[in-house]
Amino acid sequence: MTIDMSQFYQVFFEETGEHLANMESQLLALDIDHPSNEELNAIFRAAHSIKGGSGTFGFTDMTEVTHILETLLDRLRKSELALRSEMVDAFLAAGDVLRAQLEHHQGGPEVDPERLAEICTRLSALAKDAPAEVPAAKPPVAAAPRRLHLECLLPGAAADSLEALLASLAELAGVTPRHMPDAEDPRLQLGLVTTQSDAALRDVFSFHVEPENVRLLDDVVEAEAYGFFEPLQSEQPAVADEAYGFFEPLPAAELPAPDEAGFGFFEGMPGAPVAVATIEGDGFGLFTDAPGSEHAQQSGAAKSASVPVVSSPGRRVSDDPAIERVSAGRRTTDKVVVGNSSETSSIRVSVEKVDQLINLVGELVITQAMIADAAGYLDPVEAEKLLSGIDLLARNTRDLQESVMSIRMLPMSMVFSRFPRVIRDLAGKLGKQVELKTFGEGTELDKGLIEKITDPLTHLIRNSLDHGIEIPEKRIAAGKSPKGTVTLKASHQGGNIVIEVMDDGAGLNRERLLAKARERGLNVHDGMSDAEVWLLIFAPGFSTADVVTDVSGRGVGMDVVKKNIEGLGGRVELESSLGNGTRTIIRLPLTLAILDGMSVGVDGETFIVPLTAIIESLQPRKEDIKSVAGDSQVVHIRGEYLPIIPLSDVFGGTPCHDLEKGIFVVVEAEAGKAALFVDELLGQHQVVIKSLEANYRKVPGTSGATIMGDGSVAMILDVTAVTRMGLANTNPRRLAA
Amino acid sequence: METLDTGTGIVSSGEYLTFTLGKEEYGIDILKVQEIRGYEAPTRIANAPPFIKGVINLRGVIVPIIDLRIKFNLGEPSYDQFTVVIILNIGKRVVGAVVDGVSDVIQLDNENMRAAPEFGSILDTRYILGLGTLDDRMIIVVDIESLMSSQEMALMDEAA
Repeated sequence: MTIDMSQFYQVFFEETGEHLANMESQLLALDIDHPSNEELNAIFRAAHSIKGGSGTFGFTDMTEVTHILETLLDRLRKSELALRSEMVDAFLAAGDVLRAQLEHHQGGPEVDPERLAEICTRLSALAKDAPAEVPAAKPPVAAAPRRLHLECLLPGAAADSLEALLASLAELAGVTPRHMPDAEDPRLQLGLVTTQSDAALRDVFSFHVEPENVRLLDDVVEAEAYGFFEPLQSEQPAVADEAYGFFEPLPAAELPAPDEAGFGFFEGMPGAPVAVATIEGDGFGLFTDAPGSEHAQQSGAAKSASVPVVSSPGRRVSDDPAIERVSAGRRTTDKVVVGNSSETSSIRVSVEKVDQLINLVGELVITQAMIADAAGYLDPVEAEKLLSGIDLLARNTRDLQESVMSIRMLPMSMVFSRFPRVIRDLAGKLGKQVELKTFGEGTELDKGLIEKITDPLTHLIRNSLDHGIEIPEKRIAAGKSPKGTVTLKASHQGGNIVIEVMDDGAGLNRERLLAKARERGLNVHDGMSDAEVWLLIFAPGFSTADVVTDVSGRGVGMDVVKKNIEGLGGRVELESSLGNGTRTIIRLPLTLAILDGMSVGVDGETFIVPLTAIIESLQPRKEDIKSVAGDSQVVHIRGEYLPIIPLSDVFGGTPCHDLEKGIFVVVEAEAGKAALFVDELLGQHQVVIKSLEANYRKVPGTSGATIMGDGSVAMILDVTAVTRMGLANTNPRRLAA
Repeated sequence: METLDTGTGIVSSGEYLTFTLGKEEYGIDILKVQEIRGYEAPTRIANAPPFIKGVINLRGVIVPIIDLRIKFNLGEPSYDQFTVVIILNIGKRVVGAVVDGVSDVIQLDNENMRAAPEFGSILDTRYILGLGTLDDRMIIVVDIESLMSSQEMALMDEAA
């Protein structure tokens, strides 16, 4: 009954990645002076799940690291140690090592063994520290010492740690070894005299043995219990086998679940061993028969009815028509597992399937638009029913499209959650005090965009920290709080998502930027508007930093940020005030598959101009149109002279046009603003982007095509390319004409 | 008797769809034909060669339309309700070809096919599989797949 584990690797990788991210965010949110037990437990659970998963899949290197991590965490959550900030540092570093190990298992480079050894010693050193003086938090002491018989099955690996185990047990109880594990009988049997609760004793074992392999029996009933369990021994393997069978249909991901549940129970009810046992019997009765049945029978809890049946599948089944009851018992266990995981009820679906769905819905939207268009010619009285049906179809299609698109939507917190760490590390390195504030983490964005926006945002934040926020002394001198603030904000604005990165640092220095630009031979003059000066920092290779650090200063970056964001169909804006800070605003379309566009008519053809690129549209006045060198034309709009690019020229239409009859669409492109000249504005649409390359090839000046409501095809303009083509093209064309 | 040498070594003995361009009659492998439909005005593509009429929306798929009459310089291209577009499956791509009219589907075997002689024509002999004879008609059998994938048709990106 072996399972090919490798098929579950991907699930493990994904889940472990999530656990690591979870652990990191919890660590960063931790209040070092007053850590709440809940938080510590959450971190502990994440670490434990990683350990469980990596152990199941045989990634022992990860198991080792998490084990040490867990040891320390466990002492913390039991308040044996006080949390210190260097511990959080060590935990974060351990998280990094684990992530590197995870990447290594996914085919990445091997983890530096020195780094591994360093973090292990660091964690163990912290874990060995003398316990903090917090006696109050210790588990309530039982009235009288109890005598217990302990029996456990030690797996091969744990046999090595036997000494450590015994030592830690000795701290809690008087230990009398009754049987040490050997080749014949791997069981460890101990007599214990203790005032500790069962849960505390089990916790000692939890690092060495799976808790279900540990039995604690009251010594009083020892003889009886022995007789009861002895005959069962031979059946143990069979039970284990069946338990395995039970799990087989479940994905491996489920495996850690019952384990975790068990943990939760233990710690929720210390000092209530009977209740613990009852619940445990319910969850684990399948795997080990002893503890559950024993205590359940004693307690007489309602649930115990199913437990004895489960506890003795090999023995009693023969003389008891309880086979159905056995399976019924299993089903309850099954339900427990399912109930546990339903908190985060979700399914993993491959992105391709979702994309296919989105494509199909895109087709549906087009078809619906075509029907609506065709129905426009019908007599509204005669075809009343049909028309109302079409209205309904339109509404349903829109709802369907929205819900399908929302599948791909992820909250911005996916991106924001990584920044506390970035800021913490960087602020420490730069000797600055920085606080991160985030707003609008719930704002949703397409998955593809989320992945691509992370790098530019990280860069902007690093920039803010390095160049924006000043060192505390300077801030105090400037009358500001020594602690700088970086604010991340996401919000919806129309069909766009707006992400702002704000800092209350020094702001951009206009004079310095201009001086630097001159030094680099850029074309600048003193009359430039602030906005134009700020845009200089997006020039390739531009940096005002005097010293190149490993954080920034090489001038590579801001141009990449701008290019990446424009590649996503977005725009970057900068606002800055000297001494008060800088604000970077990123505008992005909500998705990559659908675009908000303005349809314009040029020479009888329809083109779509992406709405994100449009600043305004206006009808020109004759006196605003000027010519330069008798040939090129510019238009004077709101104090700026913008080059005129007639779209009919770019797309090879009739070159003659009357500039007064058409409309200018002012667009913002990479090269700056330009006025596209079109014949008419047709309307605003949401269009589904279709690839031209599938059956044809890329058409210069377009970024794709779409299908309009009447079934015709319209090209979507690539504004940057059109502007470039227009500026390069117009002159020779004019001369030829 | 001269045997047919197509250069590709693949001779389809199957059926051919014949169509007219001006006064000439052409044949293409029927298996490459997806469907035949009436001509509808396509959306013009900027800066494309004149024989590429543009793109149409074929049930949600954007398909380029090529006018073979312009490409082969055969007669005056006119577009009316009798103009026909043959939608072809070339590899994984879908391409539409405008012709004057579709005649019929014929069976041609090797015996009725002659290799095309070398001549300086716009249609490179590379793309002619052979000249078929049916009664007293001559059918120019075109290797439509390599013709449409050729560089001169400019249907695909250079890199492709």
